[in-house]
Amino acid sequence: MRLETRKLLDKAFSGLGIIAIGVMAMALLLILTPIVVRGSKAFVFKGTIEFRRMMLEQFDRGDPDKFNQEAASTAAARAPVYLMMEEFEAEMKAMKSSERREYKAAFKEVEKSIETLLGPIPGERKPVLLRQQYGQTRWERTLVKLHEALYSEEWDYSNADAMGLLVEKPRVEQFIGTKLEPMFPYLEEHISDMMLPKTTFYWRFITDKSKDSHIFGGIWPEVLGTLYLTLGAMIFAIPMGVIAAIYLCEYAKEGRVVSFLRICISTLAGVPSIVFGLFGLAFFLNTIHVSNSKSVLAGSLTLSLLILPTIIRSSEEAILAVPRAYKEAALGLGAGRWHTVMSVILPASLPGILTGIVISMGRAAGETAPIIFTAAVSVGAPLKIWETLSQPTPALPWNIYNLCTEHEAVDEIRHVQYGMVFTLVAIVLLLNLFAILMRARISKKLRG
Amino acid sequence: MKKTVITTFAICAALSTQAQNKIAIDGSTTVGPIAKAFAEYFMSANPDVNITVSESGSGNGAKSLVNNTCDVAAMSRPMKDTEFKAAADKGIQPVAHVVALDGLPILVHPSNPVQALTVEQVRKIYLGEITNWKQVGGPDKAIVSISRDTNSGTYETFAKLVMSKQKIHKNCEYVGSNGAIRQRVQSTPAAIGYAGLGFVDKTVKALKINGIYPSAETVQTGEYPIARPLFMYTNAYPKLGSPLYRFVTIHLTEDGQEMVEEIGFVPVTAY
Repeated sequence: MRLETRKLLDKAFSGLGIIAIGVMAMALLLILTPIVVRGSKAFVFKGTIEFRRMMLEQFDRGDPDKFNQEAASTAAARAPVYLMMEEFEAEMKAMKSSERREYKAAFKEVEKSIETLLGPIPGERKPVLLRQQYGQTRWERTLVKLHEALYSEEWDYSNADAMGLLVEKPRVEQFIGTKLEPMFPYLEEHISDMMLPKTTFYWRFITDKSKDSHIFGGIWPEVLGTLYLTLGAMIFAIPMGVIAAIYLCEYAKEGRVVSFLRICISTLAGVPSIVFGLFGLAFFLNTIHVSNSKSVLAGSLTLSLLILPTIIRSSEEAILAVPRAYKEAALGLGAGRWHTVMSVILPASLPGILTGIVISMGRAAGETAPIIFTAAVSVGAPLKIWETLSQPTPALPWNIYNLCTEHEAVDEIRHVQYGMVFTLVAIVLLLNLFAILMRARISKKLRG
Repeated sequence: MKKTVITTFAICAALSTQAQNKIAIDGSTTVGPIAKAFAEYFMSANPDVNITVSESGSGNGAKSLVNNTCDVAAMSRPMKDTEFKAAADKGIQPVAHVVALDGLPILVHPSNPVQALTVEQVRKIYLGEITNWKQVGGPDKAIVSISRDTNSGTYETFAKLVMSKQKIHKNCEYVGSNGAIRQRVQSTPAAIGYAGLGFVDKTVKALKINGIYPSAETVQTGEYPIARPLFMYTNAYPKLGSPLYRFVTIHLTEDGQEMVEEIGFVPVTAY
């Protein structure tokens, strides 16, 4: 080949390489930026007085004296709203029934939106559902709900040939000339006095239990469940995988059986994860009954099957990469096969084996399909370690999916969903970082 | 080393058999919000009982109960003969607890000018005979029909009460939960779907069916044509006084009925 052609090919190749890396970096940035930006809002946000009330009553956290002071000032700011509503009710009672009907439905809507915004109206029965016991806990949701309290949404269907148009009507127009009229401008003007928004660092989002299916509180059951499942999968998969790899490389005689086994393992690595999930349900739960309901144990066993092929293959590669001379020297010095494996081959291949373990650990933490039928539930308490043998747990990957598709109040709790995604990504990242550091230390030790 | 491992395992095993204060609920995504609210309510009064709720569809709930892998199967349809038979073969005796009533509102995007349909029209839409909104008095837009998956009790109810067991046309889109139906409808102006009453909010519009709007009153009186009870099934009637017994009777208490109502479903009795 001519020199110029070779140079050109060389340049083209390195250019392609740079482009590939650039695309990867862009993709990473595109994926990670929203995760970090939106996820961090679960931890740092403007919390209102309702947030502090909820924290004090549900988690026993915060300074009661300071809270009482704040509560008194918000109560004073809210009092005119309640007063105007009361006065309007009295006014309504005095009306003729035909006039009253006109206002009744509209007033009910106003009442409801005030309750969603500020919490239950003082003096009324305490609602049973926790979500109705507090007003809006976050400032950005407060503003959304304020808008809903001030404007009613109506659809204009006058053009029969097209879809309707959204028309926002100020609610105040329905109450002109009544005692309720001044309430709307008052509400708009004094909302921050009524709610006292304050920048809040809620780092215990990770370690708090969820309250009322994630509407309040944190994600500790999910985080703990993910850790249990990952560790459980590792406990089963690492010994089995490494022993299998040693056997295949050092003990088994190369031949048809071994190559057939290798093909099987590679195939297993390509089986879709949902198949493992269904297998786990059919085998661990319905056939051998490892527990009498879904459980962390059944989930860990299923996950360990999923990551086993990766661990076996990477361990095998690592063991095969150990120079033959090491092994021959050990055998030549009179060490037995077992001794050689334990004291020479395994330590030398440890960095490679660890790499495989790390990759599969990240996968086990993030897999959803294998745990749907074997371990994951949408609501549950954080488990004690012995309960993992018999009880199911919420887990981050499944609950992220559950929150965004099945939860009845999806739009109210987007921040929890993003917080979960952020936490899951952070957990996987930390696991990887930890393993990389460990690997570096071991390699350094080996080099002496 | 070995000894400690063995003893830890032994202790764990002993503790896990001892701590049987758990109630595992599996099944319907429609009953899900009720089950979750009851679980929260029950656990705050009894912190030593762990209640887990998974929402995987009525069919899965029935299967779990038959395989004895859950304590309560939440179902939005009654059990089928085949399921009763499978249960009987395995020595399971399903007992139904009706926890709430539910209408099956037919949902469209709020921008859709259509306000009312008849059951007949809904059936024709899902049969593929009516394909454009202008055929039912709306704008000239192709209808996007969305249905629940066939594992769902909501689907079974719809198939029975609306479709009269006729087959849904093949271009229909199937999704896996009530929440997913709402999401598809709120993001697709020409869509039609159906879900439990508790999933209706202002992002979707429930239609009048045969002139009746789905509400607590019309469901309870039976005026609204597509209504059904929501069930929790247990294996035999739970032992009186046990945590499970107290759990499946929450809906009979005043608090339980208030929760059912506030979530958006219809309490079984007037309280």
